[in-house]
Amino acid sequence: MNNLQFIRPANVQAACEALKKPGFMAVAGGSDLVVKIRNGLYPDLEGLVDIGDLAPLNLIRTDENRVIIGSGCTMHQIISDRLMQDYFPTLVKAASTVGALQIRNSATIGGNVANASPAGDTIPALYSLEARVLITGCNGTRKLPIEEFFLSPGKTKLETGELIEGFSLLLRKTRGDFLKLGERRAHAISKINMAVSTWNDGRDHWRIAMGSVAPTVLRCQEAEELLEKAVSKDDDLLNQAAELACNTARPISDLRSTSTYRKKMAGVLLKRCLESLTK
Amino acid sequence: MSNNLIKISFSLNGARVETEVTPQLTVLEMLRRNFRLTAAKEGCGKGECGACSIMLNDHPINSCLKLAATLKPEDRVISVEGFSEDKLMRNIQEAYVEEGAVQCGFCIPGMTMASYHLLKHNATPDEHAIKQALSGNICRCTGYRKIEAAVKKAAERTKANE
Repeated sequence: MNNLQFIRPANVQAACEALKKPGFMAVAGGSDLVVKIRNGLYPDLEGLVDIGDLAPLNLIRTDENRVIIGSGCTMHQIISDRLMQDYFPTLVKAASTVGALQIRNSATIGGNVANASPAGDTIPALYSLEARVLITGCNGTRKLPIEEFFLSPGKTKLETGELIEGFSLLLRKTRGDFLKLGERRAHAISKINMAVSTWNDGRDHWRIAMGSVAPTVLRCQEAEELLEKAVSKDDDLLNQAAELACNTARPISDLRSTSTYRKKMAGVLLKRCLESLTK
Repeated sequence: MSNNLIKISFSLNGARVETEVTPQLTVLEMLRRNFRLTAAKEGCGKGECGACSIMLNDHPINSCLKLAATLKPEDRVISVEGFSEDKLMRNIQEAYVEEGAVQCGFCIPGMTMASYHLLKHNATPDEHAIKQALSGNICRCTGYRKIEAAVKKAAERTKANE
């Protein structure tokens, strides 16, 4: 570790080439990675590849009917972007709950996803917005629906020599809410988090995703269908949806919370989100 | 020691500087070792306590989590020392002293940095705004009420002197 190498690639292709070498990892904001390196979690680390400032990774741009959020965009960039605020409030709210101000100025959305923590706050928001992960490697690009990207805690389908270029979202106005339960309001890792997005393209669509209740983020499709079919969103219906969320959650007990509490809170958080969106 | 030294260049407290760093050296360690700027401190080393807060391109960051090697020539780093002639920062520092907000003092450089960023963007913050702005900074002497009072006082004084 004392002989780490450090590579500052000129472009994305050069970064992918550098990431092919065994033991090389990409670094952007550093807010997760530096702590992990210091804690000795990467004994085989040989070098770092600085992708923090590579264009177009640090831009939010539109591409025909889609929006591409570069993986190097910081939480602060997402929160203060007008298009994000207008079209994807779920993601803006999720990004606002990450760490505290200082972290949000460093932490990137690509890092939050690549880190693949079951508690990563932007991940359920991206699920609820049907994001696609844009992956670049030495032999070209590929894209995956975000739901297919994660294998297990800390493990993704990203292969050696690949990096996340960004996230592609359909450019459509959505409404949404994001709630997280932690020990305190700032700087808390979620005991459980909940993202709900809804849009109307002639009929109502609902997407519900929750984190910290399984090895990877879970969608609650039964509750989504219930909401899409319902004519009136009365209290009874919201309670039914909440119960479905409790049944879908399959959390573990760990140092942050217990399985029973998390399961119960899945329903509480979903109901609160739905109340704010159906008022 | 590593022999992989990386040359970096950036703006530090208004002056262009060059230095050499190892890949894993953080901005905090660089400030303290290479430049002897010791206001920013390492509390937790995990980005939770905010004692290492500095400004990077006008935004406060945890300097203990930013690798110095990732600094770019166009980056502007400001530590508390860089604000020694700044009127707003002086108001903040004086208010901290007058309100008895400084106990052991370890968290104060970070606290004043977060206060500075708040008052730059919101000249008349309410209690909630102050709490939120300081939520990334921890004081283990638990002097939060005095710190919040100091921020309020600094805001009032800055506004009165305009």
